[in-house]
Amino acid sequence: MSIYSTLIAAPLLFAVLVFVGTRRVRDVLSAIFIVILGALSLSNIFSFNAPLEMSLPETFHVLFILIDVAVLAYFLWQGALLKHAYVIFFALVQILLYGAVMFLSPSIVSGDIFVDDISAVMLLVINIVGGIIIVYALEYIENEEFTSLKKNGFIAMLFFFLAVMNFIVCTNNIEIFFLLFELTTLCSYILIAYRGDALSRKNALQALWMNQIGGIAILAALIFSILQYDTVYFDVLIANSNPLYLLPIVLLAIAAFVKGASIPFDKWLLGAMVAPTPVSAILHSATMVKIAPYLMLKLAPAMSGFVSLTITLIGTFVFFSASLLALSKDYFKEILGLSTIALLGLMMALAAIGTPEAVTACLVLIVFHAISKALLFLQAGILEKNFHLKYVDDINGLVNHAPLVVFFIVIGFASLTLPPFGAFIAKFMAIESIAGEIIHNPLYAFALIFLALGSVFLTLLYFKVVTKLFAKDADVKSRHVEISKFYTIPSFLLVFLLLIGMYISFERAFLSSLEIVVPLVLIALIPALFSLLLFKKAHRVKEYNCGEKDDIQLSMYYFHMPRRVQITLTILATLGMWILLLGTIV
Amino acid sequence: MIEILLIVCAPLIGGLIYGLERKMRARMQNRQGPPLLQPFYDMWKLIDKQAFIINPYHTILGMMHFISLWMVVAFIILGENLLYVIFLHLLSSIFLILAGFSVKSIYSHIGSNRELLAILAYEPILIMLGVGFFILNGSFDISVIRENSPALASLFLLFLAFLMLIPIKLKKSPFDASEAHQEIVGGVEIEFSGVFFEFLYMAKWLEYIFIYLLLMLFAGDNILLGTGLFAIVFFLVNLVDNATARIKMSHLLKIVLGIGLTLGMCNLIGLSYV
Repeated sequence: MSIYSTLIAAPLLFAVLVFVGTRRVRDVLSAIFIVILGALSLSNIFSFNAPLEMSLPETFHVLFILIDVAVLAYFLWQGALLKHAYVIFFALVQILLYGAVMFLSPSIVSGDIFVDDISAVMLLVINIVGGIIIVYALEYIENEEFTSLKKNGFIAMLFFFLAVMNFIVCTNNIEIFFLLFELTTLCSYILIAYRGDALSRKNALQALWMNQIGGIAILAALIFSILQYDTVYFDVLIANSNPLYLLPIVLLAIAAFVKGASIPFDKWLLGAMVAPTPVSAILHSATMVKIAPYLMLKLAPAMSGFVSLTITLIGTFVFFSASLLALSKDYFKEILGLSTIALLGLMMALAAIGTPEAVTACLVLIVFHAISKALLFLQAGILEKNFHLKYVDDINGLVNHAPLVVFFIVIGFASLTLPPFGAFIAKFMAIESIAGEIIHNPLYAFALIFLALGSVFLTLLYFKVVTKLFAKDADVKSRHVEISKFYTIPSFLLVFLLLIGMYISFERAFLSSLEIVVPLVLIALIPALFSLLLFKKAHRVKEYNCGEKDDIQLSMYYFHMPRRVQITLTILATLGMWILLLGTIV
Repeated sequence: MIEILLIVCAPLIGGLIYGLERKMRARMQNRQGPPLLQPFYDMWKLIDKQAFIINPYHTILGMMHFISLWMVVAFIILGENLLYVIFLHLLSSIFLILAGFSVKSIYSHIGSNRELLAILAYEPILIMLGVGFFILNGSFDISVIRENSPALASLFLLFLAFLMLIPIKLKKSPFDASEAHQEIVGGVEIEFSGVFFEFLYMAKWLEYIFIYLLLMLFAGDNILLGTGLFAIVFFLVNLVDNATARIKMSHLLKIVLGIGLTLGMCNLIGLSYV
């Protein structure tokens, strides 16, 4: 137990400590705290043997209710202050529903804290990947023009976020889950609005009201859970689930779709890009959106065949549509954002299938997606800060200026699609588990098609970007740009984590040793050939290009995506959600 | 032992098939055609040429394409996981595409771009094919598929879909827009020369082996049927190549994805009912 209370309390404590002392003290202290958090989550997973269950004292419950009321009141105040009708309306609905929940008193009780092996994996991702991103953020935020108080506030907010995330994966009480869900909404609202300009405020409010829908879904789930099952605890609800009364489960699943930014709720995550890059990195990889697959994994045992199939189809459909939409984008962070949305859809689909193999695939994908996305967002930040590049079309021939950044980007993209990296293994297992389901229900064949097409779109997308890094526009003299060590060290750590992951997948025999070693050797062969083959005897020539001498400007190609395609995809996804909800009610 | 011998000789066998194909195509057009060993004479000539390179990335990525494709063929011969083989094949195609983009040449870029689009067309069908075998045999292992009875009848629609992607992979009309000699001068190939082009040339032979080994999987443990399939499809592909004109990339995508995915879907849904 002490491990979990430390994991929750330590970042909270540090969120306060960050304001005292100079920058140096803050940086050193942060590093120490992050190492402690990482070590704790690691020791937890190694010493983990049985799920832990326990209750919190009554004073905590009172405190939680107070915080809940304060958060909801804050949302209402923000809505009124900034005159945003949706925010006001949803805040009022939430307050009403929350009042209703307070009036109902369920009788079946259970432990407030429940930590199983899935939580242990989540803790590992949150603390290690999240910690690495915070180390990067320490340097990043110093390059922004804000007061030192505001800079410290930024770091404090990130630590607070970690604490909330650590708590949310340990809780078993849906009321506490709701509180923490709202707190992550609050964190993301403040972090997205951090820059304080008009666009940031607009996008922050959008993120707020969309996530409030998730909050409403959880409150509704709570009410139905109390009425139908007489409990507010996940374990009781799931153990007693009756296929005729699945409304609480489905409402929670919809909350997961909101947090996971599935189409049609995708706008908030894409809007979050206006915030400083470490925010995107932490939202996309270690925190916030990962609540979605985690919640699905928790709910999976209670799902009926219909619910499981519908969620799988919605999830794979989102995977397909988000990767299709990403093909027409040019903004580097937007491309990364859409691919996050796509992969989250896949994770939720896998979680909903719920077979042991699918659950493993989902966990593997959660872990490796977090690492790869963190790595890619860190590079997006470096590109913006050091090279003033935001659009893929401008990164021509980056390999000549910053080979290291290019190396990280290539590894990041390759690790999401190609063997022998972790995310590839997850995709591989995903196809296997969906193939296994087709035997029982032919409708899963649609999920397979979405998965196959989506994964090809993603490959196309990633390598469209990668090819741009190598494309040479003109014979530019190599201009070397110094990149801060605080930027490269976190990136190296993430690459190191990818390698460890490869070793683990070898240990746990997800793939045969031959299947891991061969592609690894192939990839390692490229730098080896570079240093070995100097091509001394070969003559260097210019491109033949059929003898054409005209000067050419190489540019990126796009896939035109008419607006009606976007609208159709959104409508279909929304329709899926309604079918899920109405199908359960009927 | 025989497997290792096969793996080592794979490029040579591919070269022979390529020679045979040129002969056969010529006969269909009422020409004498080159000798059977012409591909190997070409190879010697290429090795003898003076070496030119544009930049090391380009050259090395071209070599990697060949090496990784050889690995793909080795994995099939060793009877490894079919799905894995399909993804490893993707890796080898990615090397070629990166090579194409690493030089400042519009033809090379257009070729690479079309190669990417071709992947979009055939990759989903290959994945569905793998799943079809999985549903039938309960395993993705090629060694298991080879031990079971022929899957041709149960996977007939997927077989038809697979036939459609053979011309894409072997760069045959009507689906050869990614190479299109008369139009974009070979696409990715254009900037390779001499001994370095040799790698691309041999990689092409390996594609033959790759595609025909996949074709033989439909025959399961029946070697006679496998040989028959090879002979018929080999003849058919060249007949179609001679008889049709090249179509645009966008049409290729529409035709192959539209028809191929429908066929595959019907087959998979049908399989789960049987």
